Amino acid sequence: MPFMMLLRRLHKWVGLVLGVQLLLWAVSGTMMALLDHHEVAGEHTYRTPAMSEVVQPLPLAAVQAGLPGAEIVGFKLRPMLGGHVYEVKTSDGIRLVGPEGRPITVDAELAKTVAKAEYAGDGKVSSAVRLTEPTLEARGRPLPLWRVDFDDSKATTFYVAESTAQVVEHRTDTWRVWDFFWMLHIMDYSGRESFNHPLIITVATGIAWVALTGFTLLFVSFRRMDFEWVLDLGERLRRRKKR
Amino acid sequence: MRLPLLARRTHKWLALVVGLQVVLWTLTGLYMTAVHIDIIHGDHFVRTPKEQPVDVSTLVEPSILASRFPGLQTVQLTRFMEKPAYVLQSSSGFALVDATSGQTLSPIDETKARALARHWYAGEGDIVRVDLITKVPLEVQTRPVPLWRVEFEGWDKPTFYFSPLTGEMIARRHELWRLFDFMWMFHIMDYDDRTDVNNPLLRTATVLAVLMSATGLWLLLYSFPKRKRKKSKAKA
Repeated sequence: MPFMMLLRRLHKWVGLVLGVQLLLWAVSGTMMALLDHHEVAGEHTYRTPAMSEVVQPLPLAAVQAGLPGAEIVGFKLRPMLGGHVYEVKTSDGIRLVGPEGRPITVDAELAKTVAKAEYAGDGKVSSAVRLTEPTLEARGRPLPLWRVDFDDSKATTFYVAESTAQVVEHRTDTWRVWDFFWMLHIMDYSGRESFNHPLIITVATGIAWVALTGFTLLFVSFRRMDFEWVLDLGERLRRRKKR
Repeated sequence: MRLPLLARRTHKWLALVVGLQVVLWTLTGLYMTAVHIDIIHGDHFVRTPKEQPVDVSTLVEPSILASRFPGLQTVQLTRFMEKPAYVLQSSSGFALVDATSGQTLSPIDETKARALARHWYAGEGDIVRVDLITKVPLEVQTRPVPLWRVEFEGWDKPTFYFSPLTGEMIARRHELWRLFDFMWMFHIMDYDDRTDVNNPLLRTATVLAVLMSATGLWLLLYSFPKRKRKKSKAKA
């Protein structure tokens, strides 16, 4: 059967070139299936901050006075650490205005306090570092960010946005392991973000070929003798029943 | 058993068990990589809102809202059809209020839902149907109901979901998204909810796929016989 011969050869050769990536896809896929996604998302590391009732909110004129010259585009009056703050969207970024009408600057102390208030683990804050350059762990989040580390067994890290004083990311070692395999799976070795790039599309096309040829070859790869042990087993069971 | 034979047998038996799934993984993976995620998300048929400054002295004071809505927790100033509006969260749930007149706009009726959909839609086509849904379809399964569902004409059936309580766009769907979601279902082998990436079937199949591809690589060691290689070298 020359056509099947050709398929077998192509299966072999494309497999030789791309087989390692198939193995990496299978291994990384297995790891992501094994790592519990609640753990990966760090759901057990934090609690959602409690809601509280708005009491005597700051008048809007005082909000505007707290941000002289700022063009207000929108705002959110929301709870923060027991009180309410205005998170104001201006035409040049987000600013926070506190209950007394003063802009709030998110420093290391405030970042730690916010992180601690949401933390549900058994560790203590070990450090708070201000980040101005993009990092893999908090990719896609607006900078600057406060990186607040906890000394628990999962090496939990909370990322607090400097503009809003909100925890925007919860990372643990489980996530870090998961993220490594995610990188292998999507083949984006620098950003770990995009799965729509030419490399992965090319390799996936090749591997689809390997899979399809392999699947076709299954139909000619089994002889009756391959199934003899199954037939034997069936025969034996039948005999046992008769007895 | 000789090693090449062992490699070949294990490879083909594993492939018999998991081969069809590997085909599905590669084909679904190929779709998910080839169609850009921004297209899947439907960015192309949603208008980008322009940010316009607001004169806050013309707005209703949050303190007035606090007396009107007992247990007020958050007040968000956004825009509803270009006009400043408040999305409120209080002990009785969400509400939408005109930020200039103070008039309550929620719950949104069908006429407003249609206008809202037109407002957001960047495409050309007309609305083909509008429904207030109370049973959540699979494509927006995590979102709270009720929802306004507005579908536009076109081969890709662009669909918006709006909250009647806040006027916010909760989700947008179209046929390429739906196909992606269908592919995703086969990719993670969760045929019920399409969300559980840790299900036992997937775990078993992935381990078998590791063994299948590893034995495949192992088999490569015996698949290019030395004798032939020498011959071809001599030829070259």
